[in-house]
Amino acid sequence: MGDFLYELTDKLRGTALVDFSLAVSEWPFSQWVVSQFWAIPILQMVHIFAIAGSFAAVLMLNLRIFHLAGHASLAETAARYTKVLWWSLGFVILSGVLMLFGDTVRNLINSVFWIKMILVVLGIVTAIAFANNLGRQYRTTTGDTEIVGGGVKVTAIFLALLWCAIMFAGRWIAYAPA
Amino acid sequence: MYPEPTNLWERIEYSSLGITIAESTWMFPTIETLHVIALVTVIGTIAVVDLRLIGAHSRLHRVSLLAKDTLPLTWAAFALAAITGGLLFISKASSYMINPYFLWKLVLLALAGLNMMYLHMTTWRTVEHWETDPTFPFQAKLAGWLSLIFWVGVVFCGRMIGFTLGVFY
Repeated sequence: MGDFLYELTDKLRGTALVDFSLAVSEWPFSQWVVSQFWAIPILQMVHIFAIAGSFAAVLMLNLRIFHLAGHASLAETAARYTKVLWWSLGFVILSGVLMLFGDTVRNLINSVFWIKMILVVLGIVTAIAFANNLGRQYRTTTGDTEIVGGGVKVTAIFLALLWCAIMFAGRWIAYAPA
Repeated sequence: MYPEPTNLWERIEYSSLGITIAESTWMFPTIETLHVIALVTVIGTIAVVDLRLIGAHSRLHRVSLLAKDTLPLTWAAFALAAITGGLLFISKASSYMINPYFLWKLVLLALAGLNMMYLHMTTWRTVEHWETDPTFPFQAKLAGWLSLIFWVGVVFCGRMIGFTLGVFY
């Protein structure tokens, strides 16, 4: 695995990404972020809190779908936590993009960073599909009967695992073989 | 070869477990990742209740039911965070113990715990009497704000440890 990641990073070094990331590093905003000692720790804090919001929303939806927690109906629970999920995701992306300016080269020329980006895109697409399925589910649910389809259950678990994988990749960017 | 330990923290750091974690190429980052996953779960689920206490979110929901939903997950994640945090500590105990951000993190964790304990021993005892009111008692709101502030502090110090470990002697 280490060799694969090393080779991938090596390939990235031969692409136009190097010139691009070096150019971005020279931008006034990048220089400002680098010169402010507190900028990166504060952005990281926002990133962590946004991840906490999105992951907690995914977990609470999972618990409700599998009847392990949740006092409200599935419709109410879904409405509440999908809103948290979208807002948190917005902050995850915003803080993530801003953090890139603090260390552009180390991130863009890093195999684990791109693995994380692929997982993030997959995560967003899955989250949209999951929210839509959940919406369709509770619109077709009548009265007290609450039937959650297998697809929604599988997507819920997949989404939680995907979030863990994204966090794993996020932490490993700092340890990636370069 | 490691030097002869001169204090308790070095004894912990130079234990076979401490050395195993420190010398492994994958153990520290893996434990650290699990620590982050556990921590974001603790913070996210606690925030659900805190935001309700301060009246910023889920106003239509009874706070006792929200707490009942989230608490098992919060405690399970907290246990994982404590275990993984302990393992991370063992691998660099003497560096952590002289790092002010680590010590502040412990203080803030203790304050967050005491704040929650105080709320549950006082205002929370009568929760069924006030949780349907449009506004919550001052003590409940204060506990929600304090909890959020303490956890923001915990995350801030946690991040700062990463930037300053090895800087202090």
